[in-house]
Amino acid sequence: MENVIWDLKADKVVSLIKEGKRIDGRKFDEYRKITVKNGISENADGSARVRIGNTDVVAGIKMVPLAPYPDMPDEGTISVGTELLPLASPEYEVGPPSEDAVELARVVDRGIRESNAIDFKGLCIKEGELVWTIFIDAYVLNDDGNTFDAASIACLSSLNQTKVPKLEEGKIVKGEHSGKLKLSKQPLLFTFAKIAGKIVADPCLDEEKAMEARFGCAVADDSSLCAFQKGGGGALRLSEIDECIEIAFKKAKEFRKLV
Amino acid sequence: MAKKEEKKDYVKSGKRLDGRKVDELRPIKMEVGVLPNADGSAYIEWGQNKILVGVHGPKEALPKHKQNPYRGLVRYVYRMATFSVPDRKNPKPGRREIEISKVSGEALEHSVFLEKFPNTAIDVFVEVLDSNAGTRVAALTAASLALADAGIPMKDLVCAVGVGKAGGEIILDLNKDEEDAPDAVDIPFAIMPRTEEIVLLQMDGLLSRQEWQKAAKLGMEGCKRVFEMQKEALRKKYGKMEQVSEKK
Amino acid sequence: MDEEQGEAGLQNSEQAVEHKKKQIVVPGELITDERKKLGQHVFIENGKIYSDALGITYPDAGVAYVVPLVGIYLPQSDDLVVGIVERETVKGYMVGINSIYPSYISADKCRDMLSKGGIVSAKVNSVNEINEAELFDVRVFYGGEILSVSPAKVPRIIGKNGSMLAVLKNGTGCNVVVGRNGWAWVKGGDVAKLIDAIKLIEAESHLDNLTVKVEELLKAKKVE
Repeated sequence: MENVIWDLKADKVVSLIKEGKRIDGRKFDEYRKITVKNGISENADGSARVRIGNTDVVAGIKMVPLAPYPDMPDEGTISVGTELLPLASPEYEVGPPSEDAVELARVVDRGIRESNAIDFKGLCIKEGELVWTIFIDAYVLNDDGNTFDAASIACLSSLNQTKVPKLEEGKIVKGEHSGKLKLSKQPLLFTFAKIAGKIVADPCLDEEKAMEARFGCAVADDSSLCAFQKGGGGALRLSEIDECIEIAFKKAKEFRKLV
Repeated sequence: MAKKEEKKDYVKSGKRLDGRKVDELRPIKMEVGVLPNADGSAYIEWGQNKILVGVHGPKEALPKHKQNPYRGLVRYVYRMATFSVPDRKNPKPGRREIEISKVSGEALEHSVFLEKFPNTAIDVFVEVLDSNAGTRVAALTAASLALADAGIPMKDLVCAVGVGKAGGEIILDLNKDEEDAPDAVDIPFAIMPRTEEIVLLQMDGLLSRQEWQKAAKLGMEGCKRVFEMQKEALRKKYGKMEQVSEKK
Repeated sequence: MDEEQGEAGLQNSEQAVEHKKKQIVVPGELITDERKKLGQHVFIENGKIYSDALGITYPDAGVAYVVPLVGIYLPQSDDLVVGIVERETVKGYMVGINSIYPSYISADKCRDMLSKGGIVSAKVNSVNEINEAELFDVRVFYGGEILSVSPAKVPRIIGKNGSMLAVLKNGTGCNVVVGRNGWAWVKGGDVAKLIDAIKLIEAESHLDNLTVKVEELLKAKKVE
């Protein structure tokens, strides 16, 4: 039943874009209001809740000492999971992660992993035997579009808060920590939608329903990109991708202050 | 997890490990209408517990063979975030979560006028973000608020509390340390306050009949205190109105 | 159309909300232990009357009823609704009306053919025991858009005899039809200002002097 009203809204979104306007009055490269709240779960080693407009995502970190992969005996690793919770939208169902949730997790993962923000060798506890695995889990609490960027900011902010648990003889000592996790870069993801041949940043839900294609790029620092993801059934031109990258680098400077 | 060898004084001179009295609840905060996309929602902080509840419905229950032609269904889904517990929890729901979902849904069913919505389902989604004992009763308390926020017609709210025993004493609202006591008894307890009908009751542990009488009384009182907070939370959303009326 | 809107505003013994003593009640709360006629959203238990919803009750009213502050729309006979055509069936159409199920319109109740995605207004003819409705008296809208408002607030948005709706129309220049189901068709005028005014009504529907506040909002200069 909801689908019928979305089709109507999609038409409105498209006709407004053609006039150079967005449905919520924003400029084409403008983000909605972003708030970041840290420490939302005491059991987590680090956690944060991020709102972009009405999109609401919470992320939490658990550091677990585990055996390393046989081919990387002296490196720890990260594992990113995301869930699109049913309470976030009438469209989400109970059950294992959907392909949308999996895509979200893998894109956020790529942004963090490929930027080399985390020193994986530094996560080694005992070579060949024990390494830290950083489990990063993000939960979408309310989906009003652009869960990608909200999840990315939530994960990054959580990582910046993370305290490494203290280890004694390979076991975690509850309640005690041996310092903070250090990130050498602050990778941020920026997602855009192509609607009626134009590029808009931070698509809200109405815009996502109307878009032809989606493009996300992660920026590792002032000059490096570390992840791309094109989504949706439409196509993008090279000039449009360059436009997105331009906006991403500009916004990255502002956003680094938030995390 | 090995229990500590040293003897703890769970209750000493009327004070518990965290300083509370035997009949004292942990600090509780409730907020209604926190998720824009849900038909109804609520957020509760109860001690360290932090729980979010969203309600969708009534909506058509699918697949069709699951529909009940005489009344709606309550589908309660209780889940915990991986980082909500000390040792990271596997994202896949375990049997504990499935059992809690079942008994909690059954608790709410009794309070809703389900006959008004045949063939439909009312989905209640619970996500625990942080935990420290008593999550199921905190979740149920918030779920009842979320149902009210969704405008689902109900006979009464459902209020819940944990009651039990630690260190030989009957206490209200056990925290995690108390749940780990060697003689711990944990009793999640939920009622519909007007009629004092019990809609959820479970027990873990060994209790004498007299101890149960004491616990039941304490549970009832505790639930009613929680009920007052629920009413406050619902009214607070529309609070301004009361003052305006008084001006007249 | 205006008369129908006015009637819609008075549906189901929802009386003027300006003057009487009012009280917020929660589900299960006692309304009265007097013997009174039963209105909406109340139930009897052991001779006493209780609310089944979070809403407003008027203790001085002759009928015991509660006006919910929240809730989904369930169709009732004679309601005026605004719907969106979802699909054609063998002899008619299924029209979404923001309720649990879409409603059915028989083709012989429409003067013109309806097309998928089209916006219509219609009246509820009958409702069955599972809250499915059949509509009649269908009128097609051309152009315009749909606004979604809280169904519980529609009577307030329309006002007694359509008074609030008139204020909204005059203050924005919009053509507006508000369905009891929470969907409104809007065309022309200052839609942004209309949305702001409706948001104000939704937020403060239970407070006094609402009409004055809405009039002030509408008079305020447009910010370009």
